[in-house]
Amino acid sequence: MHVAAQAPGFYVLRAPPVPSPVVVPVRHGTSVGVPPRAEADVAMERYARGDDASFGMVYDALAPRLYGYLLRQTRQRARADDLLQQTMLHIHRARSTFIPGADVAPWAFAIARRLLVDSLRRGSREVLSDDGEVDAGPDRGPMADEVAQARELAIRVERVLAKLPQSQRTAFELIKNEGLSVAEAAEVLGTTVAAVKLRAHRAYEALRGALGDVLDGMEGRKS
Amino acid sequence: MASPVAPRTEGVRRRAVALAAGFAVPLAISLALGFPRAGGRPAAYVATLAASWLGVGLAATWAGVSRGRSMLGRRAAWRLLVAALTPAALFATALAAALAWPSTRDDEAGALAHVVCVAVGMICALGPLAAFAAVRRSSDPVAPRLTGAALGAASGAWGALFIELHCVHTSVGHIVLGHVLPVVLLTLVGVLIGDRVVAIRPVRAAS
Repeated sequence: MHVAAQAPGFYVLRAPPVPSPVVVPVRHGTSVGVPPRAEADVAMERYARGDDASFGMVYDALAPRLYGYLLRQTRQRARADDLLQQTMLHIHRARSTFIPGADVAPWAFAIARRLLVDSLRRGSREVLSDDGEVDAGPDRGPMADEVAQARELAIRVERVLAKLPQSQRTAFELIKNEGLSVAEAAEVLGTTVAAVKLRAHRAYEALRGALGDVLDGMEGRKS
Repeated sequence: MASPVAPRTEGVRRRAVALAAGFAVPLAISLALGFPRAGGRPAAYVATLAASWLGVGLAATWAGVSRGRSMLGRRAAWRLLVAALTPAALFATALAAALAWPSTRDDEAGALAHVVCVAVGMICALGPLAAFAAVRRSSDPVAPRLTGAALGAASGAWGALFIELHCVHTSVGHIVLGHVLPVVLLTLVGVLIGDRVVAIRPVRAAS
């Protein structure tokens, strides 16, 4: 858990490690026929019932995904840190309203997105005290060729995504990068499942059009 | 380490108190005006209309205020329907009642009666509106204005019910101007409340 200091009822949060580009939510279930629930949901439910220690699990399950999302959107560590802290503070404050059986991830992403939008609207008036560097992604060690290729591809993907309308980019990123289901992404964006599918599909088609040579090359290597 | 009182228990208690306090306002006003009376209206007409509007109020509250099983609330389409259909449903039931009891259409109400009903209806609805706003405070990061509109419409339905129990006028024109119009106005007020109360705002931790 990335809690640097703790006072009664108050956490000072530090940025978690940058997640891998694609995060698949961990789900587990024990009974046949009972839908499995994400760890974060179970932990949040315990936190709402008064088990303060469960906040660590909530944080560990959500923060890397939220931080990755916020960092990709803002490209500024200081702002992503601030927005992550605000998001977790909102979750903490609203724990008394948590609905048993509800999914915590779409809620957390929706809060983060709202705070991000507000922050971007205020952006021109704010002066960040920290660096404004663009994150280059995690250092995964000395597999030089693969890392270089992956980074080059990531940069090209970023460029293509940056040219897309915000709605398509966000839908694509929530599904492909953050691991949300289409239904969860629709909840976060306040729209229908069909609309999210369409937006993500258009984004995917744009990527396919721009990166067709790379994809063809990858398929060629596989066969 | 567990808190002395579970946050959820405390939250449920807080919301129950807010709702009880909110609905105490129209009840107190209603009692101050005297017990509900039919006046010259057919008792069956009053009972039918009151039961219908009670149903509308309950349905609007269920669909527009409660969040269902999601932390992000019910689907936007539901809240939009609540905001749009609540005044329409009140009007439709009033029209149906007027058709069922033709004698009620002969009533004539002046402009003063319209204004009094609008004022009292809105005052009666303010308690439920404040309670709903407290229940849904800082809870909608996606479409707070729409949620606010639904809260306004639901509270307006409750205000309309309370005023309907006391108002002796039955003409459709008066029902529209005196009883249904406040619901539309409260829906607009709800949009403002949604933006300021229901929306998520940046918070700063105390240093």
